[in-house]
Amino acid sequence: MGLLDRLREVVEGLTVHGQSTAILKVKAQIDNLFMIITLGDMLGIPILPPYYSMRLLPYVFPNIQNWKRYMLRERDFTDLVT
Amino acid sequence: MLDTPAPYVLLGLILYFLTYRFYARWIDKKIWETDPNRPTPARMYFDGVEYFPVSKYVLFGYQFKSVAALGPIVGPLTGVLFFGWVPALLWVIFGNMFIGWAQDYSAMMMSVRSEGRSMGPITYKLLGDRARKILLVYLIFYLIIITAVFEWVIIDVLNRVPGTFTAVLFVLFGGVVFGYLIFQRRMDVLVATAVALLIVLVGYFTVALVPAVRQPGTNFLDSPDFFKTYNFDPKLTWPGTATVLFWLVILSILYYISAITPMPRFLLPTVYVGYLPSIIALVLVLLAAIFSPLTGLTIKQPSFTSLYVDPLKNPQGGPLWPILFVTIACGAISGWHSLVSSGLTSKQLEYETDALPVGGGAMITEGGVALSSIAAIMVLSQPPAGAAAYVQGATLLTSNLLKVPDVYMNILYGIFVTVMGLITSMLFVRVFRLIMADLFEESPLGNRYISPIVILILAGFLAFVGSWTNLWIFFGGTNQLLAGLALLLIAIFLGSIKKPSAYVFIPGIFMAITTLAALAWETYVYALYAINNKPIGVQAAAAKLYGQGLIQVSNLLSAAFGALLLVLGVVMTYYLITGWAKYRANK
Repeated sequence: MGLLDRLREVVEGLTVHGQSTAILKVKAQIDNLFMIITLGDMLGIPILPPYYSMRLLPYVFPNIQNWKRYMLRERDFTDLVT
Repeated sequence: MLDTPAPYVLLGLILYFLTYRFYARWIDKKIWETDPNRPTPARMYFDGVEYFPVSKYVLFGYQFKSVAALGPIVGPLTGVLFFGWVPALLWVIFGNMFIGWAQDYSAMMMSVRSEGRSMGPITYKLLGDRARKILLVYLIFYLIIITAVFEWVIIDVLNRVPGTFTAVLFVLFGGVVFGYLIFQRRMDVLVATAVALLIVLVGYFTVALVPAVRQPGTNFLDSPDFFKTYNFDPKLTWPGTATVLFWLVILSILYYISAITPMPRFLLPTVYVGYLPSIIALVLVLLAAIFSPLTGLTIKQPSFTSLYVDPLKNPQGGPLWPILFVTIACGAISGWHSLVSSGLTSKQLEYETDALPVGGGAMITEGGVALSSIAAIMVLSQPPAGAAAYVQGATLLTSNLLKVPDVYMNILYGIFVTVMGLITSMLFVRVFRLIMADLFEESPLGNRYISPIVILILAGFLAFVGSWTNLWIFFGGTNQLLAGLALLLIAIFLGSIKKPSAYVFIPGIFMAITTLAALAWETYVYALYAINNKPIGVQAAAAKLYGQGLIQVSNLLSAAFGALLLVLGVVMTYYLITGWAKYRANK
């Protein structure tokens, strides 16, 4: 990697990296809400699995593992700092 | 040559380089035994949101941006004014060499080896729930004090560098426009950045070229007779004045908007746009410090003032130990960094071996910023107290090097200090709101519209009638104690995985004792003045305007905060030391 590329990446870190991660978090929160509404029973939330959750299952299947980990991970006030 | 800042800045940079090249690498290889083949949380728990591998260069930039705000600028300059430039320089160099980088890097590695967990969950795992709750209460008070301190720093610059506010308004407007273009119009980032930069430049040159827009002036809402009657310098910022209240209201409105609006609408784009001129200012002042022999500027500040100051004669300051070690936080060591290191960065490290350049490297680079700040203040003969001194010193250094009129640099550094302060304190108020929402949930205190008002009133009151330098020491005390606690927590972690921990335990004990002593000292000063029913230094202005009663409330509140933080700090240190002993005994 050349010096200019390294410099470009440092500037990216200084400027947009925090933004893009924050935006990804906002998007993930909206996605997670959708997943809870449709597939909340997978996390033990007592909702009756609707017909549509079965229809959606093939599409959301690749994300289920990540979604479960994200939702069930411990949350702490020190996570709010960044 | 020796009467210019350059050799001392260069000496610091060389020592930092040697520390990174030898000591830091040795710790990295021998203690943590980092291995590029061991999977990091970013690769193990890839979710594309928080956990995903990012290049070390991007992470270095992000880490540096997150840790280097106003701290490495205001702390060193205040330290120089209290004790002279030699003690300040030595602490910035040796503090960073043996403690600062070690904390940032080790907190990151501890998090990497704990599945990317942040400080709270690691504290819970190693010490239990009570220790985590103490940390939480501690953090709430820390946020209140740090917000008050930054409010005053910004107010001081806005008041004493007329025109800064107009230029900052352009920066904020540029941020809002950038956010609109990116998120509503889906414009390319580079084009939107160019538009935002254009707005910032229009603001900057308008203020620099048109004297008429350099408004409002210093103490514009207060009568000159007031300053004359009581012999207060009308060029300085005095607590309790109508001008200070005006700026406090403006700042509170900005903080409130940033706390309650969605992040992409105001906070994120403002931080992005605000940081662009700040990078230029940071690089310029460091270069100007290194090339100072070419400019003919010499050191004007005393190398050393005194070891001890009687608090009743001069309450602003104190004994060299422990006050110097808490006055200068960022640049030497700062507790805030441990939260950042164990937050997002540790979740995105691609290889374990990246932790050293990202965590250690960013901290050592921040040491360079602190050195440039010391250089900026060294060349001033009669520096005014407060953050405006930095603006004055940096202006002198850079305008001499670049051969441009002072006003250009003055406005640039005015924008720089104000924007850096705004960016971080807007984040603090938002974090406070999120913590309150977590703690109080459905009750009014957890309400998103009410909780920011709580911190704005408390911090605003402390800033309005408080004595800034004393508040700064308070902030330094809480911040540095957090660093001591983080170092001890890392020592426990290393004990739990059967690794040597002396390199963090000894600095941790030093920081804990030093900061507890500083908190005790500052609590004593506040209590002493409350008992004697006297205003502390600059509080005299507020006392003349509102009477001593209001000052008493402020000083008693500060003393109560100090006592509470002291007790919490002692309890937490006890938990950590007994925890460390327990893990060592299990070897």
